[in-house]
Amino acid sequence: MAFDVGKYTATSVSVNWDDLDFEQFRSAPLPEYSLRTLRYMTDVEYHTVCYTRDLLTTPSHREKDVSAFMTMWNREEFWHGEALASLLGVHGIVVDYDELKANRLKLGWKDRLDPIKQSVAGKLVGMDFVAVHMAWGAANEWSAITAYNRMAELEENPVLAELLRRIAKQEARHVAFYTSQARDRLAKSRKAQVIARFALKNFWAPVGSSIMERSEVVHVMNHLMSGSEGRAAARKIDSHIAGLPGMTGLTIVEDSLDSLGIAA
Amino acid sequence: MTANDEPAATTDRSTRFDVRGFARTARGNHRATLQLAEYAERPLPADSLRLVRYLGQLESATMQHLRNVLVTATHKDARVTAFLVTWAFEKFWLADALDAVLGANGVAGIEEESSDGRRHARNEAGERRGPIRRAISAIVVGTPIVAVHMTVGLVDEWITRAAYKRLVQTSGSTALASTIDMVLDVKRRHSLFFDDEARRRLSESAKAVRLTRTALHSAAWPLGAIDRSDDDRSFFEGFTFGGSEGHARAAAIGSAVATLPGIGDQVAATITARLSR
Repeated sequence: MAFDVGKYTATSVSVNWDDLDFEQFRSAPLPEYSLRTLRYMTDVEYHTVCYTRDLLTTPSHREKDVSAFMTMWNREEFWHGEALASLLGVHGIVVDYDELKANRLKLGWKDRLDPIKQSVAGKLVGMDFVAVHMAWGAANEWSAITAYNRMAELEENPVLAELLRRIAKQEARHVAFYTSQARDRLAKSRKAQVIARFALKNFWAPVGSSIMERSEVVHVMNHLMSGSEGRAAARKIDSHIAGLPGMTGLTIVEDSLDSLGIAA
Repeated sequence: MTANDEPAATTDRSTRFDVRGFARTARGNHRATLQLAEYAERPLPADSLRLVRYLGQLESATMQHLRNVLVTATHKDARVTAFLVTWAFEKFWLADALDAVLGANGVAGIEEESSDGRRHARNEAGERRGPIRRAISAIVVGTPIVAVHMTVGLVDEWITRAAYKRLVQTSGSTALASTIDMVLDVKRRHSLFFDDEARRRLSESAKAVRLTRTALHSAAWPLGAIDRSDDDRSFFEGFTFGGSEGHARAAAIGSAVATLPGIGDQVAATITARLSR
């Protein structure tokens, strides 16, 4: 089913958490390893803008629907960052814009070259590259929903679960946009399918891998995606990705867990 | 420039612009407040409609602008990017409001592309660069580029504000006057942020001043004009800055530019001359 961008923009809101009792965490804080995972999630949400930049360097910025979606998507993700930062705040962990700046500055040369690399690729394959971005975005958003749902299941705290449920609900609309775009664009072009398959198979890594230390990626994947239940969740994401035109048989999430040494 | 015009306003340096507060109180969909029924009885004159469309196209071009800004070191400044996320959101809805005004007048919306050719001014060559060349030159420039983006954003606000005010003057429509009041009120906070950031960054770095002077010299005004037709751009300049009153408006913007730390009268005069050409 086609994604209705007009309806999406008209109903896009910042996630609300005013009614959730975060104060309870002062007397019953979340465990250290969960806070570490939440910190990772916060940074990833705040960094969405960096991903926007990469997407914008391709021809996609000329398209009205894509622009409209990205405007709202960017803002929703920013507010996910704010909500998670507020939750960390009651635990005495301050995540402010200046700290994020330090984090981004660490990226160095690789980060500087990324938009150039993306642009060159974008120019080379033109509109087909937009399809790659959409498939990539779908994989990321599916992963994000899975991560939030897994976190809610594992922690069994009703307030945290409610916040994560609200965030995941917004992520579900992002998935709908990316899959609808990816499906249409991939279906139209065999070349796009080949490039998307190549890019996902060879370059995809769990969301946040490009901005966080490897030790943090391993921590989060161990926390949320290890064991039989974690593996089952990973396979579910893979089956969604494999359902996109030309992506049959891809197991990028499981492969990345194996390469990070996450126990099944 | 009159006392209530934006360039004369100075921000209180003791308190920094509250980006978090701005994000929290962002203003979205304006459709319910546009008094669209009035246009059925009194449609806007053709010139006003053309300017509404042009301004709507500029307001909606945020993603193109973000592309140019985010391939540089500006993307590393999390406070600036947090501002830009909300800025883009508010401008999206300003464009939507202007689009609705066009619809209520029974004319083509902001999607309507002019088929005429682009302007090829020599001084604007840098503005026509794609993201690759921008990203490569940004590697050498580093963080002082943030000052450039903030200052260009500020001057752009002054120029578009002058156009909106001129539109109210000429359209004779109370519905449009009320919509533009709202638009200017939303944009007021954008100006405050750019003003605050531009003056602080320019006063802190000689390299920032040098880069900004060059950028102001080569900019196509307003932001986003580089992607519009020469014909539309000339119309905008004539409508807003033509005639003796228009020239006075352009001169007022030049005077405001001259107050920016280190920018100087020569760059200010160039901007005035380009606007009222």
